[in-house]
Amino acid sequence: MKKLFTILAVITSFLAIIFSVLPISNLAIFPAIAALVFGGVAFYLSKKAGEVKKIIQFSFLLTTCALTLTTYKAFFIKTEVENTEVLDEKEVQFEEEAIEELENLDFEDFEIDESELESINLDN
Amino acid sequence: MIRNCILIVFLALSTTAIYAQNNAINAGEKLTYTASYNMSGVLTDIAQVTMETSKVQTSKATLLRLKCTAATYSKWDSFFKIRDLYESYVNPSNLTPYLYNRDVNEGSYFKNMKYTFSHSSNTVKSVMKKKNDYVENNNVKINSGTKDIVSTLYSMRILDYKKMSVGTQKTFNIIFDNEEVKGIITYLGKETISTAIGRKECYKLAVGSSEANVLQGKNSNFVWLTADENKIMVYGKFKIPVGNGELKIKSASGLKN
Repeated sequence: MKKLFTILAVITSFLAIIFSVLPISNLAIFPAIAALVFGGVAFYLSKKAGEVKKIIQFSFLLTTCALTLTTYKAFFIKTEVENTEVLDEKEVQFEEEAIEELENLDFEDFEIDESELESINLDN
Repeated sequence: MIRNCILIVFLALSTTAIYAQNNAINAGEKLTYTASYNMSGVLTDIAQVTMETSKVQTSKATLLRLKCTAATYSKWDSFFKIRDLYESYVNPSNLTPYLYNRDVNEGSYFKNMKYTFSHSSNTVKSVMKKKNDYVENNNVKINSGTKDIVSTLYSMRILDYKKMSVGTQKTFNIIFDNEEVKGIITYLGKETISTAIGRKECYKLAVGSSEANVLQGKNSNFVWLTADENKIMVYGKFKIPVGNGELKIKSASGLKN
């Protein structure tokens, strides 16, 4: 039993540290909680048996690192969009192409009541 | 996943009210959203979705350009970069589409789809481009009133919800990937929710689709539109094949009313 909880604590603490360095760092909280629970049980059972293995303390250390990194990323790293130059260029290019294509279209069903059009502000 | 999210959101904001008059949408409007993945209440921001409108002038007509972009946040770019662009050129008074463009760049996947609508013959001329100069031309027969995904999204905002009773259902047709998708929206009444642009009274809608693989389950996808004249979407909650997604408004500017 003691061995099982020790192994589970180590696996979940490794998962927590892996999650914490990925963009899904917020999700590291789940394996981190599991690691704390498994590690706690393993620690209790080991202490009862009179021998606490270093690996349990190591899993606690990993979990603490994962939680610290996750918290830091959640509060101090701003989520923003970068490298949109290509997209911006495409937007302009598509508009130019679309205007060219629209010039060749027949708006046979384009019936707009002038009074309706007045109520729509297109000049922004 | 993102592709499905976008489709769901667009479906979520679609309507049958194709001939309703536009009293809600102006040129110069800009709405920004955050798309997130929700797992047991822990949110992970994935992408930013922007919806913009602008005026387009041709020698024959003045049209409204409806543009939607989706871009992953920089932290995701090294893993899975998304730069999607959807645009539709529509009649400003009833949002009937004439030209639709969809440019998808997701990781190593690329696809460009262009639709040219002919409403007199109820057909759509479609041109699909993929990697390695692959080009496919098609002529698709559509039902009267079928729209592209972007114009249906905006069309939802010109529906009159004041006249709807709780449980009212609307069906609609959207052309997506050269196929018509039938969607159903159900008006569920009013609800007041907190958003980044303040506390808003909203119309709550449930969304369903004939495409079982797109929307998972019944009534598990919802959108909230502000219960004012602008009827902008402030919140969307939808089930996707790998969990739950959320779309939250970040900012809104250039609103008509």
